[in-house]
Amino acid sequence: MTAVEVRHLRRTYTRRKKEPRTALDDLNLVVETGEVHGLLGPNGAGKTTLCKILSTVLLPTSGTARVDGFDVVEQTDEVRRAVGIVFGGERGLYTRLTARQNLLYWSALYRQPTKVGRKRVEELLERLGLQERADEPVETFSRGMKQRLHLARGLVGTPRVLILDEPTVGMDPVAARDFRALVVELRGEGHSILLTTHDMAEAEELCDRVSLMDGGRLIATEDPKTIGSWLSRFERVRAEGVSPELAARLRDLPGVAAVESRGDQIVVEVEEAGATGEALRLLVEAGVTSLATTRPTLEEVYLQAIGDRGLGVR
Amino acid sequence: MIALFWASVRFQLQVLRRSPDYLMAVVTIPLLAIAFLAIMKNAGRADLAPYAVLGSTLMTVWATALFVSGELIESERTQGTLEGVLAAPVQYQVLVLGRISIVTVLSFFGLAESIVVAWLVFGYLIAVPHLGLLLLTLLCTAFAMVGTASIMAGLFVLARSARIFQNSLSYPFYVLGGTVVPIALLPGWLQPVSKIVFLSWASDLLRDCLAPTPPRDVLFRLTMILVLGAVAFAIGHLLTKKILRRVRQTGSAGYA
Repeated sequence: MTAVEVRHLRRTYTRRKKEPRTALDDLNLVVETGEVHGLLGPNGAGKTTLCKILSTVLLPTSGTARVDGFDVVEQTDEVRRAVGIVFGGERGLYTRLTARQNLLYWSALYRQPTKVGRKRVEELLERLGLQERADEPVETFSRGMKQRLHLARGLVGTPRVLILDEPTVGMDPVAARDFRALVVELRGEGHSILLTTHDMAEAEELCDRVSLMDGGRLIATEDPKTIGSWLSRFERVRAEGVSPELAARLRDLPGVAAVESRGDQIVVEVEEAGATGEALRLLVEAGVTSLATTRPTLEEVYLQAIGDRGLGVR
Repeated sequence: MIALFWASVRFQLQVLRRSPDYLMAVVTIPLLAIAFLAIMKNAGRADLAPYAVLGSTLMTVWATALFVSGELIESERTQGTLEGVLAAPVQYQVLVLGRISIVTVLSFFGLAESIVVAWLVFGYLIAVPHLGLLLLTLLCTAFAMVGTASIMAGLFVLARSARIFQNSLSYPFYVLGGTVVPIALLPGWLQPVSKIVFLSWASDLLRDCLAPTPPRDVLFRLTMILVLGAVAFAIGHLLTKKILRRVRQTGSAGYA
């Protein structure tokens, strides 16, 4: 049985006096049992909409979605018992109550008998490092602590499938690292995890497979190493005070996709590993000292990469 | 289901400790009671003191039920917890009932406050000649109050700004419920409408409980309160079920 199976899923939002907005468009996705599956894409790609449908908070317009074998429209109760959802950000907790009170309430919502719930809550508080401040109001917690509490909330019902919707967004690097370590532990325990993120490094570190989404569609599903190699291939060099002749020489370098002029600057788009070094050498030798290298956005990279394969994105 | 109900009662008690504003009306009830009692005293109608005491209590209880049914949805939305609750394997209606029930029951302590205010400020000793029946009627009233508030809670899930509903629903019910002015004194065309408001039956019977003569048709009147309360529960249940489906369709559970 698959953990998540999505077939031809479509979700549109009707808006007053405006054209309907399509958040998901004929989406197909499979998350195998025990897998950590990353969902990568820019804002508005449809990641959160998918998470909401899979957690039964939102109904699809058409198509089917099954979680742990249960249909999200027809078998909501079974799906809700199987899924733990962790929304990212500050919201989603009763901030005036303590961490322990929050978790005890959520354990009751997941229909755990009081004794079992109490034991589970203590386990989670200990595991997520919240025990010492378990009786303090959540509003006094740091962002990282709140996110750990979010995860505890998601785990309190002992779900088989865990959906993490941008769990590390806004976290400081140390808190994000600790959070990732927890996800690795959960994978080791056999949880199936769907993780949405903007962060390729996070996806590479945690995921068995990564799906790229954009405009409500699934663009590709690959192992994270492949997607990481796409990222390392593409680079961008910006330089000032470059003569037209030098720009032409840069354009002729192997691995340089384009050289664009933007005001006083030129932008060299590199599409092969190693070509950046050549471009930099040429610029420095010509006496150009005002230069910088940057990575293009993830969206630009995978649009470029998928464009190469002729899948006709956008 | 019962365990879930009690869990939500416990939860609401914890919320009340941190956010006592849910019971703000209970804090201000002495002011309301003083205003009514002063009017009746200056009109030379000390015999109407029980009306003032009950009126201020019922207005407070209704205001509290209305406030909490809207506020709990509003705060769930503001805190971003509504989506999480809707994703849990529970009937949302049961949670709402638990939370409204405890606040409603606590708000009935306003009656004791009003009685004390009448005694301390005006020297009126409110006699309760039919204490057993009074308590029974209060219990039935609480039941019907929670049922009616559950309809409101359903509507508040749908409405993005619950406060507009809250503000517009208080005074019509004060009048139609005969909280201060008995419905027999309302214009004739309004009286049939008030018969379908449980509060009108409750307030009349509660007033009779404070009168020296034994109340008449007690069983029928209690049954009416319970029936109207049960109808409200059924409507609230169905409405919330329908509305939750609609919220899932429109994606309007959260602000974000």
